[in-house]
Amino acid sequence: MTEKDLIRRLLKEADLYRTQGLLSDAKSKYVQIFSVIGKSKVLVKNKQLVAGVKSKIRAVDRSLNELRDSPERPELSGDLQDLIKKLFSFSQTEQAAAIEGAVALAKFGQYEQALKEFQRLLDRGVLPVVTAKNMIKCYAALKTPDAAVAQFAKWKTRDFFSTEDLKYIRAFLKTTLEKEGFKTEIPEVEPKPPLPSKSKKKKEEVFLEISAISLHPQNGPMAGQTMDFDVHFQSANTVTLLIPAVQKSVADSLTPGTRLVDIQCYSPITVFRSTGTVSGTAKIKQGPRQGDYTLDITIDAD
Amino acid sequence: MAIFNAKDRIIECKLVYYGPGRCGKTTNLEYIFKAFHKQTNSEMVSINTMGDRTLFFDFLPMGLGKIRGCDVKVQLYTVPGQSRYRSTRKMVLKGVDGVVFVADSLEVRRKANLLSLKDLAENLKEEGKSLFNIPLVLQYNKRDLEQQGIPILPVETLDQDLNSKLKVPSHMASALKGEGVGTTLKEALLLTLRHLQKELHWTK
Repeated sequence: MTEKDLIRRLLKEADLYRTQGLLSDAKSKYVQIFSVIGKSKVLVKNKQLVAGVKSKIRAVDRSLNELRDSPERPELSGDLQDLIKKLFSFSQTEQAAAIEGAVALAKFGQYEQALKEFQRLLDRGVLPVVTAKNMIKCYAALKTPDAAVAQFAKWKTRDFFSTEDLKYIRAFLKTTLEKEGFKTEIPEVEPKPPLPSKSKKKKEEVFLEISAISLHPQNGPMAGQTMDFDVHFQSANTVTLLIPAVQKSVADSLTPGTRLVDIQCYSPITVFRSTGTVSGTAKIKQGPRQGDYTLDITIDAD
Repeated sequence: MAIFNAKDRIIECKLVYYGPGRCGKTTNLEYIFKAFHKQTNSEMVSINTMGDRTLFFDFLPMGLGKIRGCDVKVQLYTVPGQSRYRSTRKMVLKGVDGVVFVADSLEVRRKANLLSLKDLAENLKEEGKSLFNIPLVLQYNKRDLEQQGIPILPVETLDQDLNSKLKVPSHMASALKGEGVGTTLKEALLLTLRHLQKELHWTK
């Protein structure tokens, strides 16, 4: 193959990669062509060819730069955001689906809209700690630490966050902002004065966030064993666990009404023992966890 | 993810087109949208930016009509191939029932194919699934470029690289021309629906 033929072949390849959007591969090929030209006493004198290849390299570099500088996640239209929420929320319960939809928006970089959704959920009192954490993640992704801190200051005045919740949220906010390289002053959490009379509802609202639990059944086929579960959702003092389909016997043994006299609860700030009652079980009929079981346990608030 | 409504006899499943950036995943869906117009009951949703790169995902719902008395609906998705969109690929894979892995036959994309298949394996693992038991079809795309004198990988090399352990069906294709697109889709659907039959007994 003559040098000319080689250049022609390489140019064809490079141009095709460029049209296919394989910009790095195209650039490598143009650079290879340039090297071949440089080694040829004849071709190196062909100013038109040299200029042409240089111009192609510059053009590819421009495209690579444009691509690098383009926003990773452009803001989508409301319709597309709604579609994302719809396509990526799998839970059957309205609250869980709403959280999943908002999380999906955040995962797809629609942070502004996700913040609005989370705010709406927070106003409705849906999983406040989980929602607050997601909002903090959005602020961090938007690189607006001041807005995150201002939001936290507002939360301090909200009734549905207990002192423990606020301490936990503050710690989460601090870690998240530090991870993003922000050093921002965050207001401290002062203990709230005890409420004169706590209604049952109020007590439920300030229940500590639990991330995992260990069960030690006293009766039934699992008696004497320790079973560890992550908490999938929490609403006040009721936690929802997921039991894999292969552990059907576990799900079967924990029927509604079953008393659990030894529950170890793991919260992000403490570990404590409690008691509780199985308040519901269900087999998941659709979604990625189809066939698995949900188990609701209401932990005694006192 | 597959949903089987036994009362109304409707089954819905999710098929994801996976592969390295610029391998032709969106081109596959565009061709399906045009060629199978009767089965595509709404517009294809595609969100692109400069250079036609998929940033989020493509989405194409299809209705296959009645199969053994059951109304079969399929959602086709593509993932963004660029490495920086790993979290998006993980999201799109949630609840996946079957996968079409589109490999780029270009010689210069050999490493990209391997990395993408590894990425798929890792993301499936996080979903509690495995490359070895999910319905999977490989498609070796851009075969037509050989005629233009562009170096492409021999099928044997692609098989050796990608399919020596998996041993799943593979199809040669030129998605831009529509060649091999239909056969890939049909095989992927067949495998997926068979797999779902074992799990959900939807044809009973």
